[in-house]
Amino acid sequence: MKKNPRFMVGLVGVAAVVTYLIWTGVSETMVYYVTPVELIEKVEADPTFHDVGVKVGGMVIRGSYRRVEGELLHVFTVRDLVEESATFVVEFRDALPDTFTDDIEVVLEGRLREDGVFEATTLLTKCGSRYEAAPEDLAGAPPHPTNAP
Amino acid sequence: MPILGEFALWISLPVAVWGMVLGFAGGRSQRGDLVLSAERSIYAVFGLLAIAAAGVSAAFLGDRFEYWYVASYSNANLELFYKVTGLWAGQRGSLLFWALLLALFSSICVLTNRNRHREFMPYVAGVLQGILLFFIVVLLFADVNPFERLDFIPADGQGLNPQLQNYWMTIHPPTLYLGFTAFTIPFAFAVAALLNGRLDARWIQLTRRWILISWLFLSVGIVFGMRWAYEELGWGGYWFWDPVENASLLPWLTATAFLHSIQIQENRGMLKVWNMSLVLMTFLLTIFATFLTRSGLIESVHSFAQELKIAYIFLSFMGTVLAACVLLIVYRLPELRSENQIESFLSRESAFLFNNLLLLGAAFSVMWGTLFPLISEGITGQQISVGPPFFNKVNLPIGIVLLALVGIGPVIAWRRATKKNLQKNFTAPVAVGVATGVVLWVLGARHELALVTWSISAFVLTIISTEFWKGTRARARIEGEGYLLAFFHLVTRNRRRWGGYMVHVGFVMVCIAFAGAAYNTDSRFNVQPGDVVEVASPFGHAYQLTYEGLSMSIGRGQRNLLWQAIATVSVAQDGDPKGILTTEKRQYTNRDSQPMTEVGIRSIVREDLYLILSALNDTNGALNNEPGAQGIDLQVLIKPLVGWIWIGTFLLAIGTVIALWPSVDRRRMAAPSEGGGVEAAPAGAD
Repeated sequence: MKKNPRFMVGLVGVAAVVTYLIWTGVSETMVYYVTPVELIEKVEADPTFHDVGVKVGGMVIRGSYRRVEGELLHVFTVRDLVEESATFVVEFRDALPDTFTDDIEVVLEGRLREDGVFEATTLLTKCGSRYEAAPEDLAGAPPHPTNAP
Repeated sequence: MPILGEFALWISLPVAVWGMVLGFAGGRSQRGDLVLSAERSIYAVFGLLAIAAAGVSAAFLGDRFEYWYVASYSNANLELFYKVTGLWAGQRGSLLFWALLLALFSSICVLTNRNRHREFMPYVAGVLQGILLFFIVVLLFADVNPFERLDFIPADGQGLNPQLQNYWMTIHPPTLYLGFTAFTIPFAFAVAALLNGRLDARWIQLTRRWILISWLFLSVGIVFGMRWAYEELGWGGYWFWDPVENASLLPWLTATAFLHSIQIQENRGMLKVWNMSLVLMTFLLTIFATFLTRSGLIESVHSFAQELKIAYIFLSFMGTVLAACVLLIVYRLPELRSENQIESFLSRESAFLFNNLLLLGAAFSVMWGTLFPLISEGITGQQISVGPPFFNKVNLPIGIVLLALVGIGPVIAWRRATKKNLQKNFTAPVAVGVATGVVLWVLGARHELALVTWSISAFVLTIISTEFWKGTRARARIEGEGYLLAFFHLVTRNRRRWGGYMVHVGFVMVCIAFAGAAYNTDSRFNVQPGDVVEVASPFGHAYQLTYEGLSMSIGRGQRNLLWQAIATVSVAQDGDPKGILTTEKRQYTNRDSQPMTEVGIRSIVREDLYLILSALNDTNGALNNEPGAQGIDLQVLIKPLVGWIWIGTFLLAIGTVIALWPSVDRRRMAAPSEGGGVEAAPAGAD
């Protein structure tokens, strides 16, 4: 099929602009999404990583949460989901989401300072979109559901 | 009753297999008895799934906590309303609900079309049963059976997450599912057209109304979700580019593209392959959206393994559908040739094509951004994610150009626009658009993207209102009617066109409201009773907010509330008292969590005043009613124009309903060659 050349130029132009937008969008806004273990390894290998913003997913350690009196500052400790010994302290200066508890998976954005404290700028709790609970918790021991029939 | 429901779900499996096989066999062999049986099997599956759904509801209403699903989403104290809506509160129930809605729509489709369009129906029935079969298989074999039992009977359930105990959240998922499932019908007709070789615009005319119904529910469903986020999540936003939100946006984008490109096929016999691809893509995206929202693939990549089975079943289904349809399209390629060509860069075809390209570009970028963590991990082993800045950066420019096309598309001439056509239609609107920008700038608006959006919106609104005005005036002159009556007749005589314009006006309003977000303000205060704080609105006035104090109510166990702290704030606008607003913290009994926030919103046409009780200074003191413990953190947001999102969506919905309403004129115009009795779309669904 013969196409109008001006029209083809327009089409290619639009495609190019969209591609350019996606390309620059990714390179300007991307952040590494790491586990606490990976983050600690990264900053040891390359100290400039202290200044690079990252996203990190971990588990808040139960009982570690405290609010600093008189200012909007929350402090708690986060550990790796698998490697429980990999931990760091988190400082977060904003209102906590309702879903936050001191025993929940969180995704933090921010940077790991040289003093080993993670300065978080955003905090998301992970159960967010699924809103599911495990009914197994209702019984003492964790039994497995049976498939019926 | 739950037992009966479970039984019905199992029986639906062989019935769906039967119907699918007979549908395709009947289509090939042209045997009416097979086709009849296939069609009836669809009613049967609908009946069986209805019994299954009733079984789940009965389990909820009867507090049958031995069922995993009921124990996870309900407890004895839960309000009746949320027990009823428990059917779609979680993954398992909503997959059943999805299948039920699809069976309902399939039945309506068969009921309204069975005596006409015989060439399509066997394959349509086969395809619909095939998709139903897929969902039944998922329900029974992918570890998501809503009738799965625990091997002990808990005394009480977990209860429903308080954030889901909100009116909008109960209607948001079913509305989206209605949109998703309704799109299956056009898809089934498209596949039937590929199979029977009737590749003109017939399948599009037959399903145009289903496409509109689907689009209506998708649009409204997405906005319901925004409304929920705005009221319930307590941070004043309505869109966060969350993977789940993105998943519902994707089919909306491609369905919108499809709605426009089919008009080119209907009018000019072009873009046949493109339309086939769009209907396939949109259908797959509705499945993908269900998969993404209900499988936890993106947000919990680390626990992906737990969901592996359902992921494999979904991915192989999508892969099979994709492969089969691509093969069919390739096989029919010679018959899908365009009847015409694009003649000019400046033509309506070209405007519609650019609209399509931009919508697909937006869809691609949203998909890319959503899946980027997975893609980057697959390629580099390192997860990299992109956040809301990425989506905004890419989609705001695309959105602005699309907005301009909303004005250009409907009035630019088909085939080839002449200079005269362009001058006549665009001189005044461009002038109005530029003038709007200048006036807003003089008034103090300095945000570039917002200014551009509002200027283009003024341009588009001028074009559409000119169209309405010209049509009404012409009719009033020719028919000698009053202007109001002429306007009414104008719209009712060509509902498709004028309904479409109304949809466009609604869309423009929503865009105007989005741009208002550039002027959001956010202030935080720590206040004691009696304190007055002042917050300035971008419109020039100021609010004086007096914190009146905290009232505590200790729960009586009702509605699962443990306690409730209600902060009362008196609102005055430039000294004029405007009533009071309350914002709350609520602690629910059944969640081991921090208290939930309930925000206070005062909406006026221009803006919303949005109060958030961020924190109590001393929760324990407040619970004991200590006089010194009334201090709170109060966050005050001003959200200019946000209410226009809801108003615009309402208009958009009205316009869509007008466009899909049966109209005598359209019937005659749609298929003049076929004489009478060509009304195709499902009257039963209106």
